[in-house]
Amino acid sequence: MNQFLAASSRAFQWSSAVASSRAARRVPRGGVPSVIVLVVGAIIVLNYGLLYTGSVFVLSACYAIVTAGMAVQIGFSQQIAFSQSVFFGVGAYGVAMLNTHAGLSVLLGTVIMVVAAALVALLLGSVVTRASGLALAVATLMLPLIAVGYVSGTGFLGGPVGAPLSGTLWPGSGSTTLIALGGGLIVVVLLAAVVFIASRILSSDIGLELFVLGVDERTAAALGVRTPRRKLELFVLGCGFAALGGAVYAGTQQFVPETAIDPTTELALLIMLFIGGRRSVFGAVVGALVIQYLQGASNWVSVNILIVEGLLLTVVLLVDPEGLSGIAATAIAWLRRKSALGAAGGEPAADAQAPGAGPGVPDELAGLSLSSVLADRRPAEGAARAAGPGDATLLEVRGVFKEYGGLSVLHDVSLTLPERGLFGLCGPNGAGKSTLLNVIGGSVAPSSGAVILSGTDITRWPPNVRFYQGISRTFQAVHLIKGRTVLDNVAVACLASHTASIVTRIGRSRLDDARAKAARTLADLGMAHLAGREVSSLTLEMQRMVELARALAPSPRLLLLDEPASGLSEEQRQRLAALLTTIADRTCVLLVEHDLTLVAQVSERIFVLSGGHLVFDGGPADFRSSPVVNSLLVGS
Amino acid sequence: MKFGNLIIAGITTGSIYAMFAVCVAVWYRVSNILNLAVGDFAMVGALGVDNLYRVKGLPLPAAIITTLAVVAVFAYLYDQVVLRIAQDGRRPIEGIVVTFFFTFALSFFIDGVAKVLFGTDVHAAPTLWSGPSLTLGSLNFERSGLLVLACALIIGGAFWLYIKFTLGGKALEASGENSVGARIVGIDTRQYRRLIFVGTAVIAAVFGIVESPITGFTYLSGATISLTGFIAAAYGGFRKPGRALVAGLSIGVLEALLGGYVSAEYGDTVLYAILAAAILAWPRALGFESAVSG
Repeated sequence: MNQFLAASSRAFQWSSAVASSRAARRVPRGGVPSVIVLVVGAIIVLNYGLLYTGSVFVLSACYAIVTAGMAVQIGFSQQIAFSQSVFFGVGAYGVAMLNTHAGLSVLLGTVIMVVAAALVALLLGSVVTRASGLALAVATLMLPLIAVGYVSGTGFLGGPVGAPLSGTLWPGSGSTTLIALGGGLIVVVLLAAVVFIASRILSSDIGLELFVLGVDERTAAALGVRTPRRKLELFVLGCGFAALGGAVYAGTQQFVPETAIDPTTELALLIMLFIGGRRSVFGAVVGALVIQYLQGASNWVSVNILIVEGLLLTVVLLVDPEGLSGIAATAIAWLRRKSALGAAGGEPAADAQAPGAGPGVPDELAGLSLSSVLADRRPAEGAARAAGPGDATLLEVRGVFKEYGGLSVLHDVSLTLPERGLFGLCGPNGAGKSTLLNVIGGSVAPSSGAVILSGTDITRWPPNVRFYQGISRTFQAVHLIKGRTVLDNVAVACLASHTASIVTRIGRSRLDDARAKAARTLADLGMAHLAGREVSSLTLEMQRMVELARALAPSPRLLLLDEPASGLSEEQRQRLAALLTTIADRTCVLLVEHDLTLVAQVSERIFVLSGGHLVFDGGPADFRSSPVVNSLLVGS
Repeated sequence: MKFGNLIIAGITTGSIYAMFAVCVAVWYRVSNILNLAVGDFAMVGALGVDNLYRVKGLPLPAAIITTLAVVAVFAYLYDQVVLRIAQDGRRPIEGIVVTFFFTFALSFFIDGVAKVLFGTDVHAAPTLWSGPSLTLGSLNFERSGLLVLACALIIGGAFWLYIKFTLGGKALEASGENSVGARIVGIDTRQYRRLIFVGTAVIAAVFGIVESPITGFTYLSGATISLTGFIAAAYGGFRKPGRALVAGLSIGVLEALLGGYVSAEYGDTVLYAILAAAILAWPRALGFESAVSG
């Protein structure tokens, strides 16, 4: 992460952000936690800076810089990489070496090491972030093991003895009081800046992308998120913050022990993060404070610190997996409800609304108007489409084969779809329907053959690029993002952040734009009243409708629907059929469905797959009378 | 016969890795939790026997039985209290918190208790089969090493027979393939989670007892053992005990060869670099994709 660039662009963008959203917010995003950190931190340093408590606090602030980055990378985005202790060590040892051997000041050394660490992380990250999930965790777990072997083996870094520094974080000379207090204040200011940056990223539109990435990488890619880039950015951010934490650690402690780089530091950092609350930047800071305070308590607690940490982590996670910040959030919500109850004279205000919203749902879904959803297309594509005739070829699947090992799933499948209309894709279980949809959507690469969108060969394009080119899809099993509202679930598909870098979101967030667009789509589908509901509280029909809304929100050119009617009642299917017909007037829909009546009712052309072969391609009348279809699908 | 002796040493350490890897993998199958405290049970086994036998003066068999019983009871209570609240409550905890962090906390807790009970010095359980090393031509076999191998074969074989030929084993496999499905057909997956957790804790303690004369343990040794078990289980795809076994043996042999031929000092560093490279090059072949999605 280039801090200079970030700082300069932030200064510019912040002013414009404040100007444009003056009505929306009084306090800039991330302002509250960072101001709390700054004020409380400064008070503690100025009052206790010369005492033992103060030095424990400054030490914990050094670790908090690291854990704030971990909250973004590991907690929020669930990219578990055990690289922090290594980069903490890189920062700490680097500053020590620059100070001792090159005579640079600690502050200058810190800047150099953070930039250097970011560059190293960029190189290393472009290799390791190809891995996902547990593979990423295990691959990066090797880093501290390699690093500790190197450090204890070489004399250059001081080996097991450690590396002392002569310089201090506070630049220039002065009394010991000035050096201790000044150094402490620099750490607090840096921590506040880190908290500010991390909070702003998490609350921005890219923060929403990161949340989806954390829940499910494949869904994220299908919704247009450039997952490799985001993972790399997260890795660099985590490593950069870790190096900064290590550098100020060296500057304030004036000594780097061998343990700074070894896996126990990694474990300590993880405990801080998870006790504080993995998804909360502020929680991660509090976690670092709590653990360092306990370790530095110099009584029976610090003697038996392993027992205390083990018990504390177990109890906190049992009470709330989101740690102390989760417990605090629950407590605040409870207090708010309590005070709201008191204000309303004992009337349960929140509960009164919920049952009312439930029964009203089916009726409101009946009247659908899609005009504005479909009118609101991206300008460039709209122009391109207006120029062409209405039945030009939109998608061509040309001779696609797909084999898994020796098993042939798709065998020489070719089909073409025009720019609008509704097309059914049927076939028995295991016929290759979902695989064909995945080949078109890009999550599965064909063994041979080509997929062509408006004359462009997109066979090798990743799913997120295809999404951006107007291919939108739903999944056979509902893939909504739990823990987020309906509005946010739809807003994910409206983000315009796919080409933007994480750094730009320290400045201006475009989440409000995406939410506004999502709200319009929901309103058009008659689902506006659901916007604030958490998705897992919805019925299956509602969840499928939310997924459909999410697929429709970006105004796609090609909509791929994987069994949208499964699990729905007859009445719900009829509503869905009416909606699909409306959509198909303006866009191309490929519908995979088991319900033959529904398919024959709404489709203008139907494809039937069997054992990976395309065995039927024709209109609904032929479909009903075809002996092939009857023997395959109706039952022999 | 440097090569032969290195292979023997590699298979001995490899069989230790393999057994811990199997313990991790089998329990992950039924519980979706990675047991990061498996090495700490081994440490308790070794230091517990040492403490009871050497300090408290109990006869060796009594010391071993008492230690194993304490480990079993503790593991049972841990499952009944912590894991029951975490996984079987009204609001079961999912994802990385439960996969990693409860056993991670358990590992800290056990280490802390061990520090209080056993102190911070290096100790080991008494050698069960003492005497000079056996030789076969130019090959040397340490007796402790042979004992480890024998234990690995007996325990591994018994386990394999249990999975292959008993109804319990089938049920166990079913719980691993699909926990919800297993519950639907009437298999109590919680019972297997408890059974396997207690079982692997005791097996780990046994291995700690037979292994400790070779390496010597402190109260912090558990983390290293858990780590090797975790890594070997990872290269077996986490859910496949058979592959975890092969991975553990291969890592042990590779480590011995690197230590013998490349560098005694940086052998481990090279080993970890090779392991990291392997995971990045073939994540699918090593079974990570299925571990992640399933």
